[in-house]
Amino acid sequence: MKNIVEVKNFQMKFGKKTIIKDLSFDVRAGEIFGLLGANGSGKTTTLRALLGFYTPTGGELLVDGKPYDPENPAVMIGYLPEERGLYRKETVLDNLVYFGELKGLKSPRDWALKYLKRVKLEDKQNEKLEKLSGGQQQKIQLGVTIMNDPKLLILDEPTKGFDPMNRRLLMEIIEELHQKGTAVILITHYMDEVEKLCDRALLLKNGVAEAYGTISEIKKQHKNKSLEQIFIDIYGGENE
Amino acid sequence: MSNSLLKVVKFEFIRQIKKPSFWATIILIPLLVVGMMAISFMTSGGVKANPTLDENTKVAITDEVGILPKEMPIVVDYTREEGKNKVIDKELDLYFYIPADFKESKKVDFYHISEGLEIFNNDGQAIKGILNQAVASEFDVVDVLALTGQFDVVDNKLTATGEVSNALGKAIIPFVFLVCFFFLITLFGGRMLMTVVEEKENRISEMILTTVSTKHLIVGKIIAMMLLGVIQILTLIIPVIVAVIIYRDNEIVSGILSTIEIDPVSIIINLALFILSVFLSIGFLTYIGTITPTAKDASQFIGPVIIGVVFPLYFMQSFMATDPNFLVYFLTYFPLSAPTALMLRSAFGTLSSPELIIGLVEIAILSFIVIRATVHSFQKNAINFGIVLPKFLRRR
Repeated sequence: MKNIVEVKNFQMKFGKKTIIKDLSFDVRAGEIFGLLGANGSGKTTTLRALLGFYTPTGGELLVDGKPYDPENPAVMIGYLPEERGLYRKETVLDNLVYFGELKGLKSPRDWALKYLKRVKLEDKQNEKLEKLSGGQQQKIQLGVTIMNDPKLLILDEPTKGFDPMNRRLLMEIIEELHQKGTAVILITHYMDEVEKLCDRALLLKNGVAEAYGTISEIKKQHKNKSLEQIFIDIYGGENE
Repeated sequence: MSNSLLKVVKFEFIRQIKKPSFWATIILIPLLVVGMMAISFMTSGGVKANPTLDENTKVAITDEVGILPKEMPIVVDYTREEGKNKVIDKELDLYFYIPADFKESKKVDFYHISEGLEIFNNDGQAIKGILNQAVASEFDVVDVLALTGQFDVVDNKLTATGEVSNALGKAIIPFVFLVCFFFLITLFGGRMLMTVVEEKENRISEMILTTVSTKHLIVGKIIAMMLLGVIQILTLIIPVIVAVIIYRDNEIVSGILSTIEIDPVSIIINLALFILSVFLSIGFLTYIGTITPTAKDASQFIGPVIIGVVFPLYFMQSFMATDPNFLVYFLTYFPLSAPTALMLRSAFGTLSSPELIIGLVEIAILSFIVIRATVHSFQKNAINFGIVLPKFLRRR
């Protein structure tokens, strides 16, 4: 199967602090890949380097064979960062249309209206984003992430702060896109989500891959314990 | 222009123009700035509504008609050229020449050195009082003219080198650019700063920078602000043009219109200076937006930057002087004040060509550096949500 993401000997230092020592992995087209680790283990740093926010100290990070360029992406990407927000003073529709235009949608307005209908927010289209509840704003952020049928979906702690309805909606959307052949990189602390959704995973510790493979391979290497137990065994109390 | 750059420009332009606050400030701020400039202008000698003669004023009159008694100490027998030269040599402050054909022409010529951008200099009207008091009790036509003051005083402003001065006519177009510059900075500088901070404060930057490059995002915002500035300038200029058309027969309006000098080279130079100055000043504010974590933190920098930009205005008198002092030179090349200082000196005609070239090159290089630094800083800080200002700069 073709690799949509390739990370080769990635190293990342901020000043004298080494975040990633030497990391290599790949994400295959159409799979759901779990990037796991304790807080501060370098998961978000790796994604940000993959998307060009950081210049790696060493190695290379490729999306569909090339470094990611937002102006000319080799494949369409949907990214839901851990720190996320939209233009609070603009209307729901204006937010969706603007991002739709930037992502090259042919009819961003039509897409936005269709999406708002799906998430039952069609009556809020002309409301300023700041007037919406937290849960409603999350639905709009999710819409921005999945517009234009991305071939690679990157979700950094996507369910963090999501209410149960939005969590279910997100799972539905991930499943839907997965069926269409979208690859997903998922950063999460919920091991039940990983077991349920992911084909393969990588556990990051001290800047290197502590475990890497299919979920069953990782479990096999750890006496068939649950992923949650494996996580606790690896990271001990450092996440507290 | 790149596709994504155009989309950023369109979005930023439309969202600002939809705001009622945009239209409120677009009308109020010009009124404030015009008021401020008018006060500065009036206190700097631009308008001399009343004669300011005193015992130290050196006055002489050549009377070719014989209205004034020869024994009056200020009556001299200079020719017109001799009187004019004495003004240039500063032996005289004011020189009046009553020509032999005064009865027919009903005009007295008045010579003095121009004091900067004089619109009205009523020192010349002093001749009317002098003649009024001097005429004999037996009137003839000439005396009646002298008594009633029904004649014109032709104001011949001279430069220090003796040429006829048209400082006001030359200054009008540079001043129009200067006024437009102030409106753009005061109205849109703060807006620009806030729109950059907004991307970070509302955590938009990480989402948006996967769809558009930092360069296109920042430059797109700056271009959108400049387009909004064009609207601002039009809302200012259109009423002025309408007023000029309506009052074109008014003495002052027609007088000013007749003095305006339209020099294409000067217009191009001042336009270049204006565009580069806008880029530099907005670039400074945008840069601040990239290094401050919140709108609250950023807002404290708007005032000082604007004051730095308009600082040369407080020294209008120094800028009007034909021999610039150290302060004028310093403000001409200090990055924050350079745009205003260069525009002022261009308006007052005290900027030599080499200085103008140095100034333009300096602003162009600085603009390039500041915008590059802004893009770099935004790239670096856009996702650095934990950025903290030094303690002494934090708002309490």
